[in-house]
Amino acid sequence: MFTTQLLDVVTTAGVLYIVALGLLIVYGVLKIINLAHGAFLAVGAYAGVVTTGLGWNPWTALLVAFVIGVAGAALVEWRVLRGLYARPMDTILATWGLNIIVVQLITLYFGREIRFAESAIGRAVNIGGATYSEYRLVLLLLAVVLGVGVWLVMQRTQIGIVARAVIMNEELAQALGINTRLVRFVTFGLGAGLAALAGALLTPLVSVHPNLGVPWLINAFMLVLVAGVSLLNLALAALVLGGAQVLVSSYGNPVLGSLTIVILAVIILRFRTITI
Amino acid sequence: MVSSARYFVLLAALLAASPLVLGEYAQQILSQAFFFAVAAVTVDLLWGYTGILTFGQSAFFGIGVYTVAIALAYYVEGVMGTAAAMVGAMVAAALIGAAVGWLSFFDRASPIYVAIVTLALPVVFTQVILSGGAYTGSSSGLPIPVPALSIMQWYWIAGGLLLLVAMVSYVLVSSDTGRILVAIRENEERCRYLGLRTSRLKIRLMAASSAVAALAGACYVLFGSVAAHSYGDFVFGTELVVWTALGGRGTLLGPILGTVGVNYVSAVLGGNLPFVWLLFVGFAFVLVVVYLPQGLVPAIGGSLSRATRAAGAIVNWRKVVVGAEGARAATPQVRAAASMRGMRRGDAATREEQGTLVLELRQVSKRYGSLRVLDGVSLQARRGEVVGIVGPNGAGKTTLLRCIADGREQSSGDILVNGRHIAGLPPQECVALGVSRKFQTPNVFDALSVLDCLRVARSYRASTSLWRRSHTVELPEPALHAVHVSGLLSRLDEPAAHLSHGAKQALELAMVLALEPTVLLLDEPTAGLTREERAAIGSVLMELAQSHRLCILLIEHDLDFVREISTRLVVLHMGKVLVDGPLAEVAESEVIRTIYVGGGTRT
Repeated sequence: MFTTQLLDVVTTAGVLYIVALGLLIVYGVLKIINLAHGAFLAVGAYAGVVTTGLGWNPWTALLVAFVIGVAGAALVEWRVLRGLYARPMDTILATWGLNIIVVQLITLYFGREIRFAESAIGRAVNIGGATYSEYRLVLLLLAVVLGVGVWLVMQRTQIGIVARAVIMNEELAQALGINTRLVRFVTFGLGAGLAALAGALLTPLVSVHPNLGVPWLINAFMLVLVAGVSLLNLALAALVLGGAQVLVSSYGNPVLGSLTIVILAVIILRFRTITI
Repeated sequence: MVSSARYFVLLAALLAASPLVLGEYAQQILSQAFFFAVAAVTVDLLWGYTGILTFGQSAFFGIGVYTVAIALAYYVEGVMGTAAAMVGAMVAAALIGAAVGWLSFFDRASPIYVAIVTLALPVVFTQVILSGGAYTGSSSGLPIPVPALSIMQWYWIAGGLLLLVAMVSYVLVSSDTGRILVAIRENEERCRYLGLRTSRLKIRLMAASSAVAALAGACYVLFGSVAAHSYGDFVFGTELVVWTALGGRGTLLGPILGTVGVNYVSAVLGGNLPFVWLLFVGFAFVLVVVYLPQGLVPAIGGSLSRATRAAGAIVNWRKVVVGAEGARAATPQVRAAASMRGMRRGDAATREEQGTLVLELRQVSKRYGSLRVLDGVSLQARRGEVVGIVGPNGAGKTTLLRCIADGREQSSGDILVNGRHIAGLPPQECVALGVSRKFQTPNVFDALSVLDCLRVARSYRASTSLWRRSHTVELPEPALHAVHVSGLLSRLDEPAAHLSHGAKQALELAMVLALEPTVLLLDEPTAGLTREERAAIGSVLMELAQSHRLCILLIEHDLDFVREISTRLVVLHMGKVLVDGPLAEVAESEVIRTIYVGGGTRT
């Protein structure tokens, strides 16, 4: 019982981390809240449905989702967001509009009915006397890999250093000849690609429908605001708030559990400065 | 007002007569749209006028829906019972709205925080309803017994409610209070430093608009006969924002037309092409946000008026008449205020006040972590003094002024204004003690006219009506003087956004003087001004100190300007007072030369 709960806490945190990662990157570099994040999750989820429907290996869904996410994001950044950076509040609206468009396109093509995707790993393993889903454990591992990977990119590569410069002081970065337009383009693409990847990873855990992104979006949005722009803080926030969610759901009631992250975030943010 | 009253009568007549041509189906759809439009109007008041982006008005609509539904399903019946339930719904929504406001509007809140709280609200509401089981009807909805009214009667009720709410909202946004709402949207910080309690006003607005949204929901459930959680959920909350943005935020008419238009077409197309229509709305929304941020109604209105202007001579003639009326109205717009607290001329009474200590700093420090920006600054200033504060960049000059204008800024030490400690007081309460601050870059309300900017500044002293709009402003003599000297008197009706940099500086100075301060804080008032403008501001400042006995603290890089008008100089360096003395001594001293000519890094 205890082991299962502990595993629930850490794997839930892992899933939340994967889902929020793309949103955090976009928030950090572009200083916008991408409400289309939920739509990109849905795109990834349907990529999973289609690829497994075609009989492909479920892992290929990840690549397909990532590529579609990046391509869609490139179009969106180029046609819509580029003119809006001076109006941060309006980017919130525009990305919500994009969310509506993407969700309706999915609905038109796939319909509203719930679909399921084949899981890459259906097995359960035995850990410390508890039988636990191997897939959730793999997700936890992936969360760590993605977290460390993005951290390495930010710390060690040229693009990462440039991106960090833009996070810290965009005007100065621009004055130093950094092409902030390109940085934004690449970052938004990467953020949306990660969102779609997260969507594909979620498919075995959730039922897939066009609006599946909304509750995930709201939770991820809260986590990112609580975390600020730090990857480590995001991991911490996912662990603490996600853990609270698991515990409230099992000891309290599931409804209260589903509200835990939102309510805790509202309280935490009351006493914390929000930078945008 | 008279002409707008005519419009409302016309609309009421249109509403009463329209069932003659509209079929029952259309009336039914429009009734629903009218109820939604009431909620959209509250979104417009909050977001369009006051700048509070809210996704949560759906939750208040939902509170109205479910309070009445649960009351009718289990507890009450009849007309009186229903009315009581509706009042209860409004009270509950107002209380929750006030709580949301109290949570969201603290002095240093980011504008994004209220969006977060209002986003959380419908999420919580939906979960509460879904977990209510049979009591709330959970996901299948709660049917209720409804009053036996005909479709046409409902059409009139819905239209009447919308008209009433629109009218009240119109009166509010046209009033003195409405002007302050726009000022908050444009620049809330400036409002606080003008002594306005913006948080309190926003909380009240939030409570009132929540009650109105709940009223709309309460009526809607009586009309629709089933309470469903979707009337209070996140998606409906965002839809209200979408309709408001499409029609045109900050116009009242825009949100109404946006809501009615979208809902009418969805109902007509709903059977055949629901998803295509929603897709179209999504595209339209994105296009409007990107290319027409003011929405469709102002855009269409703008091109219509351009078209009429091109129509020729008759229109021109009418414009001249209107122009003449405008000019007549303009003459008595600015008057000298009768009472001028603490600003009497240099008569016997002020002779006594001469030299009164009005500002005292004892060992004031400001730290950011281990960085000491101000380090044990002690300073005194008296009436009639112009204290020039000089020092290299990063010496802590602006921080010093900020500490005096906002009692929460200092890390340690005592600051006394007119003998009162300001520790812990927010800017609006420092204003009440007699401190006014002019910012470094001109800080005016771009969307308001010059006259309205002055009105907002003056509303700290004058009463603010919820329904009347005053067209004149009574300014104390120094503010009037600043308006005169800068030539703003002939430009009272121009939007502040159109003013030159220098004219904006002068306007902000006049706004700050309208507060009748005893201590005036000026942060580089002449930055970016022409020689003539600089001379004009200089003369205003000298007049203020000599005739009105103000105590002025002035940050200035232009040493010649400081020499001309200061009586005393304080040299700040690395957060410490290096020299403090009469102008003649300090200006020629070695310290000034070292700092301004070079080698300024000595400690």
